[in-house]
Amino acid sequence: MKKKAIAILMVSVMTATVLTGCGNKTGEENTAVTDTQTKQNTETDVTSGTDDATVTATATNSDAIQNLINDTDGPVNLNVWCSETEQYQTVMKKLCDDFVAQYPDIDLNVTVGAVSEADMKDRVLEDVEAAADVFFFPDDQMEALVKAGALNEIQAQYTYDMNDTDLPATVKAGKYDGKQYGYPFTASNGYFLYYDSSKLSADDVSSWENLTKKADELGMEVGCEMANGWYLYGWFAGAGCSLTENDDQSNSCDWNSEQGLATAQAVSELCKADSFKSYGNDDLLAQLNDGKVCAYVSGTWNVQNFQKAYGDGYAATKLPTFEVNGEAKQMGSYSGYKFAGVNAYSKNPGWAMLLSEYLTNGDAQATVYKATGEGPSNQEALKAASSPALDALAAQSKFAQLQKVGGAYWDPATALGQNILEGNVTQQILDDAVAGITQPVETE
Amino acid sequence: MKQLLKNVSNNFKEFGTAIVRGDIWVKMSLLIMGAGYLGRKQFIRAILITLLQVGVLVPLLTVFAPYMSKLDTLGTVQRKETFDALTMTKTVNDYDNSLLILLYGIIGILAILAFIALYVSNIKAVYREQLEAEEGDHINSFKDDIISLFNDKFHITLLILPSLGVIIMNIIPIIFMVCIAFTNYDDKHQPPTYLFTWVGVKNFVTMFTNSRTITFGYAFLRIFIWTIIWAVLATATTFFGGILLAQFINNKFTKAKKLWRTLFIITIGIPQFVTLLLVSKMLGDSGIINTMCANIGILDFLKNIGLLGKGAQCIPFLSQPGWAHVTIILVNIWIGVPFQMLSATGILMNIPTDQIESAMIDGASKRQIFRHITMPYIMFICGPSLIQSVIANINNFNVIYLLTYNYSTANMAMAGSNAKEVDLLITWLFTLTNDYSNFKMASVIGIITFVISAMLSLVTFSKMVSGDREGVYR
Repeated sequence: MKKKAIAILMVSVMTATVLTGCGNKTGEENTAVTDTQTKQNTETDVTSGTDDATVTATATNSDAIQNLINDTDGPVNLNVWCSETEQYQTVMKKLCDDFVAQYPDIDLNVTVGAVSEADMKDRVLEDVEAAADVFFFPDDQMEALVKAGALNEIQAQYTYDMNDTDLPATVKAGKYDGKQYGYPFTASNGYFLYYDSSKLSADDVSSWENLTKKADELGMEVGCEMANGWYLYGWFAGAGCSLTENDDQSNSCDWNSEQGLATAQAVSELCKADSFKSYGNDDLLAQLNDGKVCAYVSGTWNVQNFQKAYGDGYAATKLPTFEVNGEAKQMGSYSGYKFAGVNAYSKNPGWAMLLSEYLTNGDAQATVYKATGEGPSNQEALKAASSPALDALAAQSKFAQLQKVGGAYWDPATALGQNILEGNVTQQILDDAVAGITQPVETE
Repeated sequence: MKQLLKNVSNNFKEFGTAIVRGDIWVKMSLLIMGAGYLGRKQFIRAILITLLQVGVLVPLLTVFAPYMSKLDTLGTVQRKETFDALTMTKTVNDYDNSLLILLYGIIGILAILAFIALYVSNIKAVYREQLEAEEGDHINSFKDDIISLFNDKFHITLLILPSLGVIIMNIIPIIFMVCIAFTNYDDKHQPPTYLFTWVGVKNFVTMFTNSRTITFGYAFLRIFIWTIIWAVLATATTFFGGILLAQFINNKFTKAKKLWRTLFIITIGIPQFVTLLLVSKMLGDSGIINTMCANIGILDFLKNIGLLGKGAQCIPFLSQPGWAHVTIILVNIWIGVPFQMLSATGILMNIPTDQIESAMIDGASKRQIFRHITMPYIMFICGPSLIQSVIANINNFNVIYLLTYNYSTANMAMAGSNAKEVDLLITWLFTLTNDYSNFKMASVIGIITFVISAMLSLVTFSKMVSGDREGVYR
């Protein structure tokens, strides 16, 4: 907006001087006129903006914002860290520019930095005091960030109330120890099944048994990453085993029960099929591009890759069922969310909070959905959003659980997954895994 | 150690004599360090040393003292913030930062030690000048001092920067890291928000405990053994590979020597990050090499001879212990041989030809010459650098990490302490700090690695340098 105004200004100056030649006076007048006009425009923009804010927020909230504006003198520099993908960077820059344009009286400088979401926690914790004021992170990093004291607790909201606007599940996932730390941003970070409908029928993808049989016939590959606690949970949860986090951040887990053993054996049998593969994301994409994979468990971060690989056959659905002791069980999953968080060490916490709210409000979420395909958490924006991937997520959501698990879970779970994959399932292995998962947490 | 104690006690004895027998100027130097020089009319020196005194004491008392006073607890006031919803501002209490307390505390203590040494030697110097003045000897002026720093004491001038560098870059970080091992600095105690404190030798006990839930003892032993095996094998294979290769290229029947040498050096030219990541992809479970092996029947062959289970879908080059260990060493040969070839070429070119010629006249075979003249010579020249490369390989992060960054262990005990079978101590340390913020255990590992490397170099260097073997080749 600003750039455009300057461009228009420059052009008008140039044309004025060219046309009038030596008549400099008229040129000056022209520029003066355009200048005041642009100023008036932005001012009216702002007043309408604040009007909107007062509609949704209570009187005290707008007072607070006014207080903040009054108390701010000198430039306010804000850093935003979000995903490094081009779509994200573009849409975030645009949203940040819009935010800056809302407050023309304040010297706001918002810079958008590119940090991969998977590394967000590491980059922030490298030096909390130097990290971005606002950053976007997936829910599984919440615990580490809170434990390190990097997240600002959200004690008040000014431009919208997430309890009214967003999905209750996302808001809940943004809490830790009963305190709200995350501004809900997306609700589509879970996993489901992508498949190629030109090769597989709806019946084929209804159960893992059918799926592996058909894939064996086709000579193609299907699968799910096994040596990864995030996906592994889906199998055990589907079979009715439990894994929960205790108050002291240790875990309770019954995967070494009779049912757990039966589940591990059943999954291990599935893994023995020639067509069943367990790929990490890099390998998956390589095999997908080679045209070898006809169905795979993944999430919205791979939407474009699957669309490209499957073309017209691109389809997505809930996770298939699998048989334990001859009984079909619906595979469960973790639902996943992304949040915006304010750095607890931000030098401008007020502005950082306002920016976070702006970047996660309904309109922003709708814009982000359009740009990236990631499902909004805002209920209004979610209603307008529809795609095969989001529909599949919605279908899976009945069987999905919020990821609340203590840090001791991940490495033993990875090792357990690796053992199941290698066909190495015994009561002893499960006992060891559960002992690792449930190990007590030092309290002092 | 005894020598050191003796030195220190001697120093203080002289210090005592200086104070007792010193005149008024020397006694005044106890308070104002420049006073003694002032008495001998050495104004520049007096001003400089007094400025130094002020320059050390003022920051010590103002900046470092508050931190040093909290060194015993590493801070007691945790960060607390209160948010005012109406003004959208945050007030934060005056909190302690354990990390800064530890760091400034260490620097402060080192500064105090250095200052005491300076102080004592200053008194001694001032007393010496008093004696010289009494005997009517020539007293060095400031100008004389400067000149001597460029003449007979030039080594001091040269060494001052490097020794400062060693203190700042080596000593302080090492002391700091050693201290962390005695604290509970982990994911639940991360400054600046949370405090950590001293816990004694608890972390060392944990490191060597093996129970159902604490598996550090088991993981440590396995990783330690693999680290040593790796360091020895990686060094030996590349060393002998390099010498053989250099020998082949240096052979007078070899054509196009420069071409061969260049070809091998090209592998050095490409950054390891690129080659190793590529190799790890190629050797992956669904990588190109596995596909080829499956196509030409190697996979089935391995299944038939029982090296792989009947259900194996691929050769687990980098995904199962044993296999991965062998693969890593083989890949390292390919990476490391050209380096050794380069240094071996240089040595081979400089072998004294008279010995080889006289051996040939005596009728020695090629093999005998290599075995009894070339090899001993190379071993003599390369010995120290071999130890260096064993130590470098103990800490060889790149090869191991880049090849096995997506290895997942199936061993519960290893998983329990965030370790993998293919980890070296150094990569384990990296995982603990980078992924699990477990700084306390990481610095325990760091200390152990340091001790191993230090002992190894001490023992072998003293063995190698001792005796007059140098004379053998003169």
